[in-house]
Amino acid sequence: MADAQPVLSLYDEPFWAAMAEGRLELQSCASCARFRYPPAPVCPDCLSMDYAWTPVSGRGEILSWVIFHRQYFDDFPPPYNAIAVRLEEGPILVSNLMGIMPVGNWIGEPVQLTCRQHEGRRQHAFEWAGAGAEGA
Amino acid sequence: MAAQNDLSGIAAMIGVGHTDWPADHARVRAGDKPHDSYGYAAAAFNAALADAAISRQDIDGLIVGPTIANERMGELLGLDVRWGGQADAMTAVLEAVAAIRAGYCEVVALVYGNDQRSAAVKYGGPDAMGGNAFLSYVYHAPWGFTSQGALYAMMARRYLHERGMTEAELGEVAVAQRLAASRNPNALMREPITIEDYLASRFICEPLHLFDYCLINDGGVVLLVAEAEKARQISRKPVSIKGVGRFDLNKGATSLEPRLTDYYHSAQSKVADQVFEMAGLGPRDMDALQIYDSFSLHVPLALEGYGYCRPGEAGRFLTEHGISLDKGLPVNTSGGHLSETYMQGWNHQIEAVRQVRNEAGDRQVPQCRHVHYSSDVAGKAISIIYGAP
Ligand SMILES: [Zn+2]
Repeated sequence: MADAQPVLSLYDEPFWAAMAEGRLELQSCASCARFRYPPAPVCPDCLSMDYAWTPVSGRGEILSWVIFHRQYFDDFPPPYNAIAVRLEEGPILVSNLMGIMPVGNWIGEPVQLTCRQHEGRRQHAFEWAGAGAEGA
Repeated sequence: MAAQNDLSGIAAMIGVGHTDWPADHARVRAGDKPHDSYGYAAAAFNAALADAAISRQDIDGLIVGPTIANERMGELLGLDVRWGGQADAMTAVLEAVAAIRAGYCEVVALVYGNDQRSAAVKYGGPDAMGGNAFLSYVYHAPWGFTSQGALYAMMARRYLHERGMTEAELGEVAVAQRLAASRNPNALMREPITIEDYLASRFICEPLHLFDYCLINDGGVVLLVAEAEKARQISRKPVSIKGVGRFDLNKGATSLEPRLTDYYHSAQSKVADQVFEMAGLGPRDMDALQIYDSFSLHVPLALEGYGYCRPGEAGRFLTEHGISLDKGLPVNTSGGHLSETYMQGWNHQIEAVRQVRNEAGDRQVPQCRHVHYSSDVAGKAISIIYGAP
């Protein structure tokens, strides 16, 4: 086994550079303003190749979630969760929910971006922002 | 679009062959390696020639599966051909039909071999697809999100929630397919299971249980497809390809957009229109379904996507109507990938052919005239309808 490593295309490098400084920035299309993820050379809506790295609000909601019970990576001993988050800006991110977990269903629960240290890198994670998140 | 109707019935499956999956699996588990991918393919090729009772000289086209190289396979089998290609199982059938329609060739061998178990091929973790690819089960690895199973677990969680489907309803898939496998001497897993067994089985990526996952084993499959008139001349038992269709959802694929918001339904409903119109048949004419089942979830998705039931009704369809050999509309009558063998869609074509030929033994569907094959792997919705000529 080994640790989980990022896919690093030419367009991923700025994403991880910003992440290393604790910021989540995504490409926004210079022509139609659409946000996109994963990073890419071209806008899938208007085919413009111009873009700007733009900070996002960090607000989103959980579309779905899973719990891994099998170990695939040295740096992810089970059980651990993964969530699919719909950002307010549109794109879907796969991340991890940290801190207090909702009881029962997680789908539709609001979450807020945070940044965490994972092994040798900083990367995004989310915290529950729904009613009850402050309670426990 | 009208021209696609010309494809209906222009080609037929005239021979099927495969390796001895249980015997090879037992040897691999004991640490032996019976063949590599090419060797499994070659063994299946001999079996297909024997099944079709044709000579190798009749073959003038060669399509090989994704795990083997076309030139090397043709070299090993001593095949010089007029036309060649490389494709997965379902695309190979569609390409063979198109090549026959174009006049490139008359008799095409579709050849697949895979030593994925003995070669310890990884479908998750650091080495999945070389660990550096724009594939949704590789790209999200930094967050521990890996494996094809996790994609379907993420999809299943939302789908079950939105549709109000229960874990036990989804479990009907694994239970029904195991019942089918129990009547199939070619199946790896033949011990029947109950819903209680399913619910008690361990999670791999929750909400999916062990029994929701396909097997991983070695083997080979060869399918022989011939132009319809040629098929009548050289084959005793051709099975007609009545309809084919395909639609790909690529937008947002890596970010899981079409998986989590559409469940590939839009692609399947387009393909349903195409394939049923081409065949001049509808869902009610189908006597059995073969559904690409790397995971159990594919089955309810296809039942809704192709109009066997309405969206939101798959749970009830699974339990009340039924999908087993004993009740309802038989699905994956060989046991499929969950319980027969993981030949990545190739074994489903064999089963469709055998059912239409009335050669399925203890698992034969009575008066089986039409079989629908469906796959929705990674947003590529593909359908084939087989029937008596
Ligand atoms: Zn744009």
